Amino acid sequence: MDLPIITRRRYGSFKGGIELPDDKDQTLAVPIHRCRSPGRLRVPLSPCGGAAAKPLASRGQQVAAGERIAAAEDDSAVDVFAPLAGTVGGLTAVTVAGRYGLASSPAIELTELSEPRPIAPAEEVFDWRSAGPETLRSLLAAGGLATYRESIEPLAALIARARGSRCGVLIANVMEDQPYVTADHRLLAEQGRDVVRGLALLARAIGAARVFLVADQRRTEAYRGCVQLAQQLGIEQVALSHKYPTGADAILVNILTKREMPPGGSTMQVGAAVVGAATCFAAYRQVACGQPPTGRVVTVSGDRLSGAGNFFVPFGMGCVELAGQAEPPLLHGGPMTGSRCGDDVVVGPATNAVLAIGAGAPPAGPCIRCAWCTDHCPARLNVSAMNDAFELSQVDRAERLGAMACVECGVCSYVCPARLPLTQRMKRLKHAIRALLPIGGT
Amino acid sequence: MPMQEAAIQTPAAPRRALRPAFEAPFISAPESARTVFLVTLAAACGPLAAGLIFFGYRAAVVAAVCVVSCAAIERLYYRVTRTPALLGRTHAYLTGLLLALTLPPFVPWYIAVIASAFAIIVGKAIFGGVGHFVWQPALVGRLAVAVMFPVTMNPADWPLLGGRHLLTGDINRVRTIEDYRSWRRAAAPGGADGFRLSPPRAILAKLTRPPEGAAGQPLPPFSSLAEPRVPQPGRAGERPAVGAATPWWEKALDGLFGVEPGWSKRRLEPFPGSSPAALRAPPPDRLPPINELLIGARPGGIGETCAVVIVVAGLYLVYRNYVRWQLPVAFIAAAWCVAAVAPIKLAGPNGTIETVYVPLLIEGFDVGFTYVNYQILSGEMLLAAVFLATEMTSRPVTTGGQVLFGTGCGVLAMIMQLYLNVPIPSYMAVVAMNTLTPAIDSLWRPRPFGRRHFERLRGVRP
Repeated sequence: MDLPIITRRRYGSFKGGIELPDDKDQTLAVPIHRCRSPGRLRVPLSPCGGAAAKPLASRGQQVAAGERIAAAEDDSAVDVFAPLAGTVGGLTAVTVAGRYGLASSPAIELTELSEPRPIAPAEEVFDWRSAGPETLRSLLAAGGLATYRESIEPLAALIARARGSRCGVLIANVMEDQPYVTADHRLLAEQGRDVVRGLALLARAIGAARVFLVADQRRTEAYRGCVQLAQQLGIEQVALSHKYPTGADAILVNILTKREMPPGGSTMQVGAAVVGAATCFAAYRQVACGQPPTGRVVTVSGDRLSGAGNFFVPFGMGCVELAGQAEPPLLHGGPMTGSRCGDDVVVGPATNAVLAIGAGAPPAGPCIRCAWCTDHCPARLNVSAMNDAFELSQVDRAERLGAMACVECGVCSYVCPARLPLTQRMKRLKHAIRALLPIGGT
Repeated sequence: MPMQEAAIQTPAAPRRALRPAFEAPFISAPESARTVFLVTLAAACGPLAAGLIFFGYRAAVVAAVCVVSCAAIERLYYRVTRTPALLGRTHAYLTGLLLALTLPPFVPWYIAVIASAFAIIVGKAIFGGVGHFVWQPALVGRLAVAVMFPVTMNPADWPLLGGRHLLTGDINRVRTIEDYRSWRRAAAPGGADGFRLSPPRAILAKLTRPPEGAAGQPLPPFSSLAEPRVPQPGRAGERPAVGAATPWWEKALDGLFGVEPGWSKRRLEPFPGSSPAALRAPPPDRLPPINELLIGARPGGIGETCAVVIVVAGLYLVYRNYVRWQLPVAFIAAAWCVAAVAPIKLAGPNGTIETVYVPLLIEGFDVGFTYVNYQILSGEMLLAAVFLATEMTSRPVTTGGQVLFGTGCGVLAMIMQLYLNVPIPSYMAVVAMNTLTPAIDSLWRPRPFGRRHFERLRGVRP
């Protein structure tokens, strides 16, 4: 019997964007594997960039895998669990991907570790299907879950915001449209049923009426296993074009709901919450199976790397250690929106890839006004005029031209023949506008 | 001492060294600004090759002089002013080649050098080089020499090589011949390599702006446009009459492609109003068949004449995404529409001169269609639309702005061509619109993502 694959509905597209090279062959068909044994873990205490959690374990104490080692005291923090069994070595400081890029965070060091384990099938110990939304929300809030995405925050905070703005739409974004990165793809292909259950669980917690599972139209064959379950759970499965940046939240919400996010705002303002596959998976394992979040799937790939693949990595493992023999520089995250990875960067909830690709750029020249940045901008911005505004420090002019609508996808820098760091300049402009505008301004 | 050793052992950095990237994105598209200029340069070699064929080796000499002097002058300028040269010499090569395409093939070398100097210094360098200039630099040079050498640059008769002397002939060894009807039929007179002709633009101007006191002289009638071949006197009666049922588009196509009488399914009837005296008008006052305008067998600038090659090169640039098709199409379409409706003066029967208000329709669509195509193809308009108006730095950035820009160029160019006695109307129109580019860019702004429509008109934002 041939199962129906994800149907391809015509949702249209957006103006601009670009077809990036795929470069995923190294890891696309490789199953998720357990990662190599780390020498030590430095588990970040504020993986979401907010306040740090308060350590519960003391130096020299033996902790078991999954044991709570730090407790959140604030809404912006999450509980921290020991990813592996080991001995607490003390407090240290690491760099981890927070809400606004890589940031410093205190961390608990664990040594004498047990072997890391692969993702194992788990039994449901809690009947989440008959649980009410209130119960689910309290369970999710107690679990120390974060949104496993670039703009990371505690999952409880996301749910609270979504409920505050009455989000009727919940979108699981598995587009993964950046080159090299296949972590969400492998997770959905191998643990698709758990991801879909987690999505339904989150939808019930948020109270969303419409639930979308959005995937790349080239990869739908791999997701056959979760199709029927998703249909039973009332999840609309959508396959979209792989044009970059279809996976940017604002663009995705626009494609699916025809609503445009206000400049500088959030998709919640137009009634749509966006989560990732890793978020759904972790939420399901936490609530239904009672497994605390101790790690995530990370793509380790790149031209300069021999042992490429997807690994289930415990939080706190150093990115350099994870990449193994590859020489620096390493990249943290996808090549379009990621950042350069220093020696003290550890795997956190927002780490979806550690890449060893050529991180050099040719020297920048003057803007020749080729207009490619403007043609490809998904937010329809006149990026060359923004560049003029940046060079002349005209922040208010950039604001009038709509700089806040920028989704920071990186396409303008990618296409620029003069190799200008346009995305970087747009980020600076947005930062300056946020600093200049009164609170509550657009 | 160890520091010294390290300094000695460090290899010299390569000229285009990669700088370390610290912020996203970490990958980039393969095309650089240099590639853009080089590919445009390669595309511009197409019209140059056509010019080489029809104007002989001197076209290559002019092009070489322009390219070399542009590069040399740019280097000299940056040496003297001690500013760093931006993007090497690639853009100077491109400017030189585009300048050469706009120059007539017979210009002496010093005019080419002066044009290059104006193009590089006035057009480009004093604004700060690549990416900062206001006007297309090649056009600045062309305009300067058009003003400085009005007689040399715009003579009454222009040369063209004969069919047997293509590519190798000397463009300065040409002679006027009496019975030139079309390039394909004519043979270069003995001892010469080609002919000296009135350019089609001058013939058109004589047709649409009859000089005062022309009464009594046999002027070509408007309808002679649709009939490119000079009919033999006395054979007109033998032709089968074309009935009223003949569709206009067939007649228009016959006129467009200059169908030989023997090849045509029907032969063309002389149009009403074309008197036998007018049909026996002196050959130099007759326009060449329009297919010769398409392949480039007409007098003109080196790269201006061959419409087919210009269009093919333009399509390649569009394919490479260096040119948005909207700009040249808006340019030509606007010029076409203006030529179709702009009132002109025509020599009527009995030596009278009358004003015609919609030339496209006045003697039937086929005659008007051919007339408008002559207006488009007889000058430098195609080269201006495809290669010069699309120069990246001096055109607007947004697509809508480019449509505005192209439309303005086309309207201005055709108005100047029809009503003003200027030698290079399309180039002047492009330069004029280049001046307006910043204004168009601030006028035409696409709606940013998430903003309401027409926010500036609503007064919400300035």
